[in-house]
Amino acid sequence: MERTYEAIEQVLRKYNYKKENLVKILLEVQKLHRYLSRDVIHYVAVALQLPPAKVYGVATFYAQFSLKPKGEYTILVCDGTACHMEGSTSLIKAIEEEIGIKPGEVTKDLKFSVDCVGCLGACALAPAMVINGEVYGNLTAQKVKEILRSLRGDNDAQKSN
Amino acid sequence: MTIHVDGRQVQIDPNAKNLLEALKEVGIEIPNLCYLSETSVYGACRMCLVEVDGQLVTSCTTKPKEGMRIKTNTPQIQQLRKGILELILASHNRDCTICERNGSCKLQEYAEEFGIRKVRFDQLPKPTFFDASSPIVRDTSKCILCGDCVRMCEEVQSVGAIDFAGRGIETRVSPAFEANLSETECVYCGQCVSVCPTGALYVRNDLEKLYEALSSDKVVIGMIAPAVRVALAEEFGIERDPFIAERLVSFLKLSGFSKVFDVAFGADLVAFEEAHELLERLSNNERLPLFTSCCPAWVKYVEQFYPALTNNLSSVKSPQQALGSVVKKVYAKKLNLDPERICLVSFMPCTAKKFEAEREEHAGIVDLVLTTKELSQFIKVSRVDLKKLEPQPFDRPYGVSSQGGLDFGKSGGVLSSVITVLNDQVGIEEQRSIELEKGIRQIEAKTKDGRTIKGLMVFGLANARKVVNDILEAKLSVEVVEVMACNFGCVGGGGQPYPNDTQVRQSRSKQLKELVSVKSLISPTENYHMRKLYEEVHDLHELIHTTYRPRKRIVQEDVEVLPAPNGEKLKVKVCLGTSCYLKGSYRLLSQLIELAKRRDYSSVEIVGTFCLENCDHSPNVLVDDKLVGEANLEKVEAEIERQLQKRRVHDASQTNV
Repeated sequence: MERTYEAIEQVLRKYNYKKENLVKILLEVQKLHRYLSRDVIHYVAVALQLPPAKVYGVATFYAQFSLKPKGEYTILVCDGTACHMEGSTSLIKAIEEEIGIKPGEVTKDLKFSVDCVGCLGACALAPAMVINGEVYGNLTAQKVKEILRSLRGDNDAQKSN
Repeated sequence: MTIHVDGRQVQIDPNAKNLLEALKEVGIEIPNLCYLSETSVYGACRMCLVEVDGQLVTSCTTKPKEGMRIKTNTPQIQQLRKGILELILASHNRDCTICERNGSCKLQEYAEEFGIRKVRFDQLPKPTFFDASSPIVRDTSKCILCGDCVRMCEEVQSVGAIDFAGRGIETRVSPAFEANLSETECVYCGQCVSVCPTGALYVRNDLEKLYEALSSDKVVIGMIAPAVRVALAEEFGIERDPFIAERLVSFLKLSGFSKVFDVAFGADLVAFEEAHELLERLSNNERLPLFTSCCPAWVKYVEQFYPALTNNLSSVKSPQQALGSVVKKVYAKKLNLDPERICLVSFMPCTAKKFEAEREEHAGIVDLVLTTKELSQFIKVSRVDLKKLEPQPFDRPYGVSSQGGLDFGKSGGVLSSVITVLNDQVGIEEQRSIELEKGIRQIEAKTKDGRTIKGLMVFGLANARKVVNDILEAKLSVEVVEVMACNFGCVGGGGQPYPNDTQVRQSRSKQLKELVSVKSLISPTENYHMRKLYEEVHDLHELIHTTYRPRKRIVQEDVEVLPAPNGEKLKVKVCLGTSCYLKGSYRLLSQLIELAKRRDYSSVEIVGTFCLENCDHSPNVLVDDKLVGEANLEKVEAEIERQLQKRRVHDASQTNV
C-alpha cells in the first residue's frame, strides 16, 4: 500500500485537484488495484473536497468502476444476443466448475474475477469472452476450462510431471 | 407578461422561475413530486407535464414566454399523469395504513385525487434498505427517487450525507458505502424529512417512551419550545390563538405531566449568558466571531466541517440543555427529589434535538425529546379537543419568559435577544439591519461607548458555509454570527408537521412574531425568575456551559500504509482527514515512509487515518499514544526516537530482571 497514496496524489495533481475531473481521476486511480477500495474513495473525496456519498454515487453508477476487488485476470463473458444464442450460459457454467466463481465474484486468491457484459462487439466469434483485453472466440465449455487452466499455470505443472 | 392558460388570458410575473411557479400564481397548482423551489430543478417525476403550443413539456423546466398557449387539463395530460403515478406505485411499498406518513403523503394524496383503484403493472421487486440508527429513519422501499432529499442535503444544507447510488433498478438514495446515517456527516437537521413526499424518510417516533414514563412512578416534567406552539396551532386549525401554549399546558397536565415549563425561559437564560460571553470575548479580543450554539445541527456542522473553529461556538448550552440542567440539578434539589426519579420530556420542532439530548456530555439531562409531530399525535389519539381546553399558565419558576426568549423560535431571534441584553448592559444607541441575501441578514449595533458590533443572522447551512468561508478569507468581518440550520429558523424544523414549505414557515414566523409582541417582558434581563436563579445558584455558570471539540466526519478504519512485521510495533498514525490533508499531511506521510526506510525502522508501522479529532492543530500525527500536533518531520522523528528509546530501556530492564 505504501505507494498507493503517492500514486493517487500524482493522479490528483495531474487533474489539478478539480472536482469536475472526478470520473477521469477515479478511472486512473482504479488502475492501481483494479478496483476502488473504501479508503481510496475516501481519500479522493477528501482531496477533492466532495462528500464521500457523491464519490460513492459516481463510482456505483458507472459499470466501469468496481468496488469489489478484481482478479489478476478479469474475465468478461459476453452475454449479448449472438453469444447468448450460441451458448454463453454454458461458458459461465464452465467457469464456475473450473474456478468456483459466478459473475460478479472473485476467487479467494484474487487470481480470477468474472463478469457478464452486454456485448463485446465480437459477434462473429460468438460465443466470446475477453480476458485482460485479449479476445477469445468460438468458445466451448471445454476450451474455456483449458484457457483457465493454462492461465493458472496448471499446464506447466502437467508438463513438468 | 401575458400567457394563455386553458383558454384564459392571464398576467404572470415575467420573472417567474418557471411555468410551474407562474401557474401557481394564477391559481393552478400543477401536481409534482420532485419540484422544490429552494433547489435546482430536477425534472425527473414528469408529473408536471403540460401542453405548450401543442407540445408536451414539463412545466418545472420550462421558462414562460410572452403569448405562450398552455393547456394544463386535457384528457391526454391527465391520462399520462395517471400512468406515471401507476408506474411509481408499482415500485412503491404500499402499506399506507401503517406508514408514518399516512395522511400526509404527497403520493397518497395524488393517488387519491387521480382515483387510482388498480395498478395495471406488476409490483416491482427491488432491493430495499432500512436504517433506524439515528433520529432520521430511512426506508428505501417507500422511496420514489425524486431526489428532493439529496438536493436539500447538498444544495441547501451543504452536507451531502446522502446521494444517489447505483444505476437502473438498483438506484437508491444512500450514504457512502450503504452506511447508516449515524456513521455519516449527517447533522440530523431533518430537512430531508420535511421535503420527502413519501414515507421514505421520517423522524424516529419515540411516543411509546412517553407512555412508558407516564405509566411508571416517575415524575414527568415537560417543556415546550417556542416554535412548537405555532405549528401545533396550525395543525389543529386554531392559528393565531393567543393561548395556544397555555392550552398545551392544560393538555399535558391532563395527560399526567406534573409540571410544564417554557423552553423560552431557557432561551432567556441563554441570551443573557451569551450577551455576557460576547462582551467578554470582545474585551479580550478572542474567539471571535462568536457563533451561536443553540442549533444542534449547526453545532455538529461546525464540529465536522470547521473543526478548527469549535472554540468560536458559544460555550453556553442550548435552551433545551440549559433549562434541562437547571431542572435536573437545581429544581430537583429544591423539591428534594432524586433527579433519577424525574423524566424530563422536551417538545421540540427539531430532529437534531433528539441527537443533542443523546450527546455524551448531556447524558442524564433531557430524557426524551418529542417533535411537534409526535406531540400532535399524542393530542390526536387522546381525542381531546384542544381548542375547548381552558388555558393554564406555565409552571413557576421556569414558565416566565420575555419577548427575547420566545423569539428564539425563528431566524434572527437569538441575536436580537442578545442585542436586547447588550442594550441593558452597555446601551445601544443605534441599530441597523439589512438583508444581504435570502437567509443572510446583517445587523449593526452602535453602543453608547462608541463601539460598533456587527453580526449576521443566517439560516440554511449552505448559507452558513458561505458566510464562514468569507470570514476565513477576511471578506467579511463580524463579531457574532447566529446560525439556524433550517430555513426561517426553528419554525421550519425537521420535526414540524407537514406541509413544511416556505409559505407555511413564513406564516409560522408571523404567528410567532405576534405571540412575541404581546409578551409583557421585553428583555431577558427583566425575567425575574431568571435573575433569581443567578442569585440562588452559585455554580450556575458551570451548569449551563459546555465545550465542543472536533468530530470525525468519515468513519473508516485505519489504512495500512507501511506494515511492520509481527511482534512489538510502534504505530504511527498520520491523519488524512480534511483539515490535516489541506495542511499537507500527505507530504508528511511520504516523508515518514522514506524516513522509516532510511532508518530501517523495523518495528515502526505507518497507517493512515481519517481524522484524529484535533483539527485546530493540523496536521496531526499519533505516535503510539502521543499526539503530535502541528506536526512536521522533525517533530515526529523526535517523538519516534523518544518512544523507541523508551522501549529499548524498558526491554533492557526486563532482561536484567
